[in-house]
Amino acid sequence: MKRMLKLIRTATATSVMLASAAFAQEKGTIYYMVPTLLDEFQTESVNAIEMFMGQVGYKTVTLNADNKTDVQQGQMNDTILLKPDAIVIAPVDFNALTPSIERAREAGVPVMIFDRQITSTMIDFTSVAGTVEIGHVAAGEIQRLLKEKNGTVSGKVLQVLGDPGDPYTLDIQKGFEELMAAYPDVEIITKPAMQWEASNAGSIVADQMLVNPDIDLIFVHAAHLAVAAVASLEAAGKKPGDVMLVSSNGAPVGLDLIRQGWEQVEVEQPLYAQAAALAMFADKVVNGEEIKPATYDVLGLKSEVTIEDWGPNIKIPGAAITADNVDDTTFWGNLQAPSATVESVK
Amino acid sequence: MKMSDGTRRTVEFLLDNLVWLMLIVVLAVFSVTIPGYFQFGIFANILEQSTFVGVMAIGLAIVIIAGHLDLSVESTAALSAMVTGLLFAKSGIGMGLTMSPEWLMLPASLLLAILVGAVIGVINGFFVVRLGMTAFIVTLATFIWARGLVVAISGGRSAQSLAPSIRVIGIERILGVPLLAWISVACFIIFAVLMAKTPFGRYVTLVGGNREATFRAGINSDRILWLSFILAGALAGVAGWLLAIRTSGATANLGTGMLFNAFAAVVIGGVSLKGGIGKLPGVYAGVLLLYSIHTAINLMGLPAHFTQVILGGLVLAAVLLDTLKLRLREKLL
Repeated sequence: MKRMLKLIRTATATSVMLASAAFAQEKGTIYYMVPTLLDEFQTESVNAIEMFMGQVGYKTVTLNADNKTDVQQGQMNDTILLKPDAIVIAPVDFNALTPSIERAREAGVPVMIFDRQITSTMIDFTSVAGTVEIGHVAAGEIQRLLKEKNGTVSGKVLQVLGDPGDPYTLDIQKGFEELMAAYPDVEIITKPAMQWEASNAGSIVADQMLVNPDIDLIFVHAAHLAVAAVASLEAAGKKPGDVMLVSSNGAPVGLDLIRQGWEQVEVEQPLYAQAAALAMFADKVVNGEEIKPATYDVLGLKSEVTIEDWGPNIKIPGAAITADNVDDTTFWGNLQAPSATVESVK
Repeated sequence: MKMSDGTRRTVEFLLDNLVWLMLIVVLAVFSVTIPGYFQFGIFANILEQSTFVGVMAIGLAIVIIAGHLDLSVESTAALSAMVTGLLFAKSGIGMGLTMSPEWLMLPASLLLAILVGAVIGVINGFFVVRLGMTAFIVTLATFIWARGLVVAISGGRSAQSLAPSIRVIGIERILGVPLLAWISVACFIIFAVLMAKTPFGRYVTLVGGNREATFRAGINSDRILWLSFILAGALAGVAGWLLAIRTSGATANLGTGMLFNAFAAVVIGGVSLKGGIGKLPGVYAGVLLLYSIHTAINLMGLPAHFTQVILGGLVLAAVLLDTLKLRLREKLL
């Protein structure tokens, strides 16, 4: 019955997405450059951006770069020639795409950034949760968990990064370690899961649990890595809660692990709100209108637009998901597209 | 320099098993230099972690010994893992398929994974053997489309929480060694015997050494090649099934990068990329060597960014030693 309800919910959400996308697409075409489709966050971002852009009158064409910088550069160059109304890009590499972005803007094609911040050149609009800030939220939660367990903020933390060549994971690490530096009694062991591959994360956890059996908490930088970490803990005879687990990005598998008791906190990236913000400001970006700094309500989240050196920037707060709020339907990991439609900012 | 028969046999034995000696030396050095490395649990972990690439490398080695290449094994494993996850996992995109009695899910999922792999092997075999296309291109194409199929059927999402009756393979231990590791050891023994003691194994080596000559000798070389590709696919299917069990499900990028590890292990293990030369025990030693290095890196307190550099350097060193071995053999024997 539960499964059936979930199917109906998913089907309804999909229909809403398709219907809303089909409605008003009279304003033009926007290209969305997604970095990869091998990641649940990015996959869902395609659905969300297409849906919200459809609601404000734009057709979205999505191009997948398969996590390759050169492919994304090529896609940018091709797209500029097609003269779309705007380009939304979640860059594979934060800096390597800068020349392509500058070329697009010189050709009169405005560029919006989704999720992965570029600060080295002017951008027409940026919508991010802030990867460094995700690390900050994780650090706050991990400090709380360690204090609850050990009485003070102390203990041993295994941090499993994604691929060490990916700035996304390095920024989370930076944010996390920045705030943890104030607690010298916390030992952090950091290892990368090459290519974000789950079994690599599983191997790291299996090895580290042998040489550091006193690890209090494992912090993995993506929920799909948490699944493999749990499999290794289970194989090592651990039960839910024996070793605390914190993950980031808020993917559905992470939420399932919270429900099963294996994971304590998932730091959510507010995917739907990030995508909705792009749509809310799309008209202004396309028409070259001024974006005013202020606090805006994006799907119920108070989000701040500031004018930075790189242009207008909206930062949407990430959230800590725990067992208490895991079923909140606003978390993208519950895969229930928001029923409220977004409107263009006047 | 004239060598006595005894000396010649000893030198030949040492050269034949150099990769095993290298493995012992590497394990000894890591045990002495890396705190916590020298313990039974770590060695059990190495055996367990080498399972997936190990099983994959058996099939790859057979195709290479037969004189061809199979670049598709990684994606084939990923597809099998995703099919297993999709059908038998309970969360994410898993359909949570159940059977009665429950244990039936174990052989059913394994057979399905083998079938997925074998079908891909048949496709590769058809293009290479029947149509005479280059294995490199055909299997490269398969590498790409099979991974694409994984993304397409999963929609980029994950399947999670495999049924306990399947997960048992990833949890149980025999004599303290994970069951997964026993499975890979069993696979290596079975296929090493197959390659060394049966006509099929001898024909694979002969076909890889000189296909024309074997054809003239009345051996159906096409049949041998077909079987090699199907075996490689089926074994990659098994590797994917084991990988899904290890991670209790499947993600769209599961197994990424394993092809290169499998290739490195095969080469380190003494299999000639020109075909006709190679033994599976050497390949197993190559896999263990690689994962001893992986495990050492997991335990060393090195900055994460240097991991790939170290791994690449160590693999290069292992291959250099193997080349040295070949030169020595030419000089001394």
